[in-house]
Amino acid sequence: MRGRFAGSARSLGALFVVVVFAPPLLLLLSGSLHRPGEPPKPTPDVIPDPLSTEGYALAFEWGGLLRATLNSVVVAAIAVPLSVLVASAAGFALTQIPRRIRNAVVGASVIGLMVPATALLVPKFAMFRWLNLTDTLAPLIAPALVGASPLYVLAFYLAFRAVPQDLYDACLIEDLSPAQTWWRVAMPQVRPVTSAVAALSFVLTWSNFLDPLVFVYDRDLFTLPLALRSLATLDPTNFPVFLAGAVLATVPAIIVYALAQRRFLK
Amino acid sequence: MAGITLTDVHAAHGVNGVSLSVGEDELLTVLGPSGAGKTTLLRLIAGLAPVTRGTIHIGGRDVTALRPGLRNVSMVFQSYALFPHLSVADNIAFGLIVKDVPRAVIRERVAAAAASVGCEQLLARKPSQLSGGERQRVALARALVREPDVFLLDEPMSNLDIELRVETRAEIKALHQRAGGTMVHVTHDQTEALVLGDRVAVMRDGAIEQIGSPEEIWRQPATTFVARFVGSPAMNLLPGDGPVRPRDLFPEPGWLIGFRAEAVLLGHTGDPLGTVTRVDVVGEDSYVYLSVSGSPVVARVRTSEKPRIGAAIRVGVRREDVHLFDAATGRRT
Amino acid sequence: MKRSPWLMLAPYVFGLVALVLVPFAVTVVLAFTEYDLINPPVWVGWANFTELFDDPIFRMALGNSLWFAAIAVPLRLLIALGLALLLHRRSWFVGSARTAAALPAAVPEIAYGLLWLWLFNPVHGPINQLLAGPSALLGRTPPAWLTLPNDARAGIIIMSLFTVGEMFVILVAARQALPRDVYELAAIEDATGWDIFRRITLPLMAPALGLLLVRDTIMSFQLSFTPALVVTNGGPPPYATTYLSLFVYRNAFEYLRYGFAAAATLVMLALTVVAVLLQVRLLRRARL
Repeated sequence: MRGRFAGSARSLGALFVVVVFAPPLLLLLSGSLHRPGEPPKPTPDVIPDPLSTEGYALAFEWGGLLRATLNSVVVAAIAVPLSVLVASAAGFALTQIPRRIRNAVVGASVIGLMVPATALLVPKFAMFRWLNLTDTLAPLIAPALVGASPLYVLAFYLAFRAVPQDLYDACLIEDLSPAQTWWRVAMPQVRPVTSAVAALSFVLTWSNFLDPLVFVYDRDLFTLPLALRSLATLDPTNFPVFLAGAVLATVPAIIVYALAQRRFLK
Repeated sequence: MAGITLTDVHAAHGVNGVSLSVGEDELLTVLGPSGAGKTTLLRLIAGLAPVTRGTIHIGGRDVTALRPGLRNVSMVFQSYALFPHLSVADNIAFGLIVKDVPRAVIRERVAAAAASVGCEQLLARKPSQLSGGERQRVALARALVREPDVFLLDEPMSNLDIELRVETRAEIKALHQRAGGTMVHVTHDQTEALVLGDRVAVMRDGAIEQIGSPEEIWRQPATTFVARFVGSPAMNLLPGDGPVRPRDLFPEPGWLIGFRAEAVLLGHTGDPLGTVTRVDVVGEDSYVYLSVSGSPVVARVRTSEKPRIGAAIRVGVRREDVHLFDAATGRRT
Repeated sequence: MKRSPWLMLAPYVFGLVALVLVPFAVTVVLAFTEYDLINPPVWVGWANFTELFDDPIFRMALGNSLWFAAIAVPLRLLIALGLALLLHRRSWFVGSARTAAALPAAVPEIAYGLLWLWLFNPVHGPINQLLAGPSALLGRTPPAWLTLPNDARAGIIIMSLFTVGEMFVILVAARQALPRDVYELAAIEDATGWDIFRRITLPLMAPALGLLLVRDTIMSFQLSFTPALVVTNGGPPPYATTYLSLFVYRNAFEYLRYGFAAAATLVMLALTVVAVLLQVRLLRRARL
């Protein structure tokens, strides 16, 4: 009795959650399908009338979204695999080195997690400028050197530490180098972590707005988030156009995130 | 020539001055309670743990400073340490694959190793699809395939049920007789140690208490520790001037006399009287626990002749069944 | 071969030093200089800091950031916890509800900002179209999200409440990891829902909650940046939604006052540290 009641109460609650949390994303979609330049309606029209994809066409035309998408794809294609490699290699190396150095690196990683990105913008900007790397895609790929986020390095470290020590010992007996052990034995044991880190670092890279905002000025190098911003400043009242752009930027991130989340909450 | 020689080996995790040598084609079992340093000793030989003092030679070569991969040893881990993502065939072949041995050679040697432990029908499976006994076989095959100088086995049977353990024991012994090689087998199971080993080393607190043939360990325990650790139930140990002793023995002060349950004589006139406090029936035989003037004594009797609890029985022992130890050092006198 | 773990660690350590630790150290030094990227930095001592605290805009930004953190962080944590406790077990709609709760966090910040720019729009936005009817009935004007200071601040906080997906996912995992037998024992003892929550669930989840609280506090300084930049543009006057992060950004990249911006950054960091230490202390005391 009690179980069944709790179950239906839970379902009711879940339904409520859907009703509250689904609208923003649904509205994003609905907004993008309005016809640009229509006068405002007195009542909200969730299902646009007329349904129009004109916003998408205009977004591409005005915002240079094709070019921006290409830039975003280039950045993600380099940064995501690089992030996974750097984070997993570092996470594995942490299990192999003396404790004192490991603690120092873990401590520095935690500091790295605590410092807000905005706090580092000024010196990073000065540094990239000095290296003549502003107005290139390099500063957008650079975060891959910290594995997109030190959090992912720590996640890999914990995952590798959880692999039974005997497996590593068996590799030592077979005379594998640490790099071989990492690639041939350790990585296959932590596939769920690898796919989660790949997905999350993709979302992080794909959505990165602050870095391109500060480091990139050349329109030809705009990534999708930056192109969206300039699209919105172009005509802030023509919402179907920039919402169409927002949908385009959102879809890949959401698909990847949903896949990762499904895997995580198994 | 293989064989292992340890000279005064010390290590951080409870190995204090171990010296021993294992001959070529010898199977040495290392026996001791948990925490005695057995596994550490094995890891020192393998090179998985650092030696702080002393030297290790394998096949006459000083390997003390060599990394594990260069010692030409193979090891069967207690957990078997099979790689979950690889098939049985790839697990067995692993050491050869990473050394870039030609494919055809690998296939041949994997087949041979698998056949010698009887797991050739498992080659395509993953470790998660194997039973405990099958995993153990695969781990053995992986150790065999490289044809190493030294095999190290770390409690390879502790995860098997009893029936399988007895069977595997016989197979390992047969395997060793067939394949030869130096083998060190660590266990806390005394039966396994005695049955399997050409010689047995009994360890306690990071040091070797006694090393000798199974028969020596059984018949002439060097210390009270070995005397009580080997054999079940543990050997009776009483003060030399205690209630139970052979009539023709006049021990010096500070001696302990030890005798096994099966050596106890019951019901001989002239012996002191004991009271039965407990009787454990173990099939045909029963163990009778007695209290003789406050000293506990355990005796083995045929179950058909077991006494009642509370009965008073005379308890004695013969001179030739008695081991004498110095109470102060615990060593045999 | 012995060197290979160091080689594997090298790229990360290089990244950490070059992209985090050195910039961090440089920020500390820059805070005591006047620097515009063209002329070499000039040492000015504490001048930046005295100027900061005399600057009404900075004080406004400081207050805004603190209020935002004080309101948004606890609310976000509560919402995530509530969602996790509601949705950690399977039932009808739970799957859809999980997806609905998790996904907004995956929307790129800028897209999310643009969405709310439209939602909050007084004329075109659906929120006010929806609120127009009831507001008129009550004889009040609907909220002016983009023009009235407090409405704008509330708007930025509302935006932040939908993006608790990451916390939610972590808390669901934490809740699912709790041992089942503890709850079975509680059921045998006939403990009621509130008791179970207070005496079992909450203490067992405290480590995860504490970690998220600290993390979200740190993140709160960043969380408000994009919305303030895109949706309210730091306004409405007087600087109602200029948060510290936006203040830093404007001073550095619009007014080219890098030293001044670095000093503001340091204040922001100091606040973060203080907030984190306070929380750690509170959490430690609560557990005793």
